[in-house]
Amino acid sequence: MEKENILEVKNLTVVLDGETLLKDITFSVVEGEALSIIGPNGAGKTLLFRALLGFIPYKGEITWRDGVKIGYVPQKFLVERSTPITVREFFLLHSKHFWAPEKSFVGHLSHELSLVGLSKEILGKPMGEISGGQLQRVLVSWALIDHPDVLLFDEPTAGIDVGGEETIYTIMHKIQDEWGTTILQISHDLNMVYRYTPKVLCINKKMICNGAPQDVLSPKELSKIYGGSAFYHHIDS
Amino acid sequence: MEASLYQSLIIGLMVGAASGAIGSFVILKRMALVGDAMSHIALPGIALALLYGVDPFFGVLAFLVGAAVLVWWLEGRTKLAPDALVGLLFTSSLAIGILAIPNAELLESLFGEFPALSPPAFFLIIGAAFLLIVATFALTKRFLLAVVSPELAHVTNKRSDNLILFLIFAFVVALGIKLVGTLLMGALTIIPASIAKNSTKSMKTFIVGSAVIGGAVSVGGVLIARTYGFIPGPTIILLGAGCFVLSLGLRRS
Repeated sequence: MEKENILEVKNLTVVLDGETLLKDITFSVVEGEALSIIGPNGAGKTLLFRALLGFIPYKGEITWRDGVKIGYVPQKFLVERSTPITVREFFLLHSKHFWAPEKSFVGHLSHELSLVGLSKEILGKPMGEISGGQLQRVLVSWALIDHPDVLLFDEPTAGIDVGGEETIYTIMHKIQDEWGTTILQISHDLNMVYRYTPKVLCINKKMICNGAPQDVLSPKELSKIYGGSAFYHHIDS
Repeated sequence: MEASLYQSLIIGLMVGAASGAIGSFVILKRMALVGDAMSHIALPGIALALLYGVDPFFGVLAFLVGAAVLVWWLEGRTKLAPDALVGLLFTSSLAIGILAIPNAELLESLFGEFPALSPPAFFLIIGAAFLLIVATFALTKRFLLAVVSPELAHVTNKRSDNLILFLIFAFVVALGIKLVGTLLMGALTIIPASIAKNSTKSMKTFIVGSAVIGGAVSVGGVLIARTYGFIPGPTIILLGAGCFVLSLGLRRS
């Protein structure tokens, strides 16, 4: 059965304060597919996500499949350390009733947390006191809790220790297999791009390449994306 | 005519609790100063109402609702620092109010009084304060999401949540202004939440605590003012400030 497009982007252009930050981006994502978005700092990757989520004005077309449910893991999560909110309360923002949450929701939580490798003890901790890696996993878990059709990860490995990185990608892979979740991820780690996503979109304010990593990520293309001193990981398998 | 002690205490309790509840979000949004300055805009409202012989409450309410919409509209829409803009605008309105209000009414407008109220007016204030508390608690989840992560909120919520928050704030300030006055009403929303924030790491205890402290400080302030013959408004605020200092000791690092 042919799967339909869950997202189509045509000639997306973002101009903020007179500066063109993204120009003529065109790509589509098939349901259940995993797509990596790569590019140097300031290339407009996060901006692209913000446009896809409808946070900022844009020109061109962004068409999501009707009724699509989107989960979003932001790159930064600015909770002041002193903000009095526990991890449990942060999750309760997802439940129907904040003050008197349904029992089923609370029971569900420890299962959802175990998916991202966290134990339920973390629920009682203040958000400002957990480590960067734990925070990232909490955010991933938070985005997954509604079982979204599409998950937008903004640099999922930022702030995660090396051992943890592997797990976050494994989790993404697992939910993609089990739930058929479409994944769009912004990534800096080309190694992970090769391993986990069959498609890659390279941007640097404009579109540079779009296709399978093996086909489009030639050293020449990479130096076009990242400049002369490009690094890239070669995968032999 | 002075209100009965019984009446003052109940009004203090309810309005103080409503201030504390909504104040917790004002603090979380780091808009303490904006909220404080916003309450100053009530003064020209009082002046206009007095000029046209209307109950000052309605003048205050009209001006505050206008201010709430303005702050909401300015939020994230201008490149000027909103704090500075709001400070300028609202302190100028304070200046206008001071010039426009007759001297006899001025002190009362600035620092409040607990007036004797007719039973309908009394129950109206109590009922309104109660509804505002209920609304604040009912909308906690939405307000909180907007505060904790505007980006995540954007995925599920609407921008109007902030407007609702400001409107509740405006109504609470309008209720409280009669009691503690325009200059001090902002403080009544900020102090209880600041005390609660020093004493807890959980959101539920923070919001409930802020409401309880708001009510307790107001009741305590009214009692002290009555005993020593002070003006209630400043007494309430000073009692709150004292509790805040004590709460600093509670603060866990």
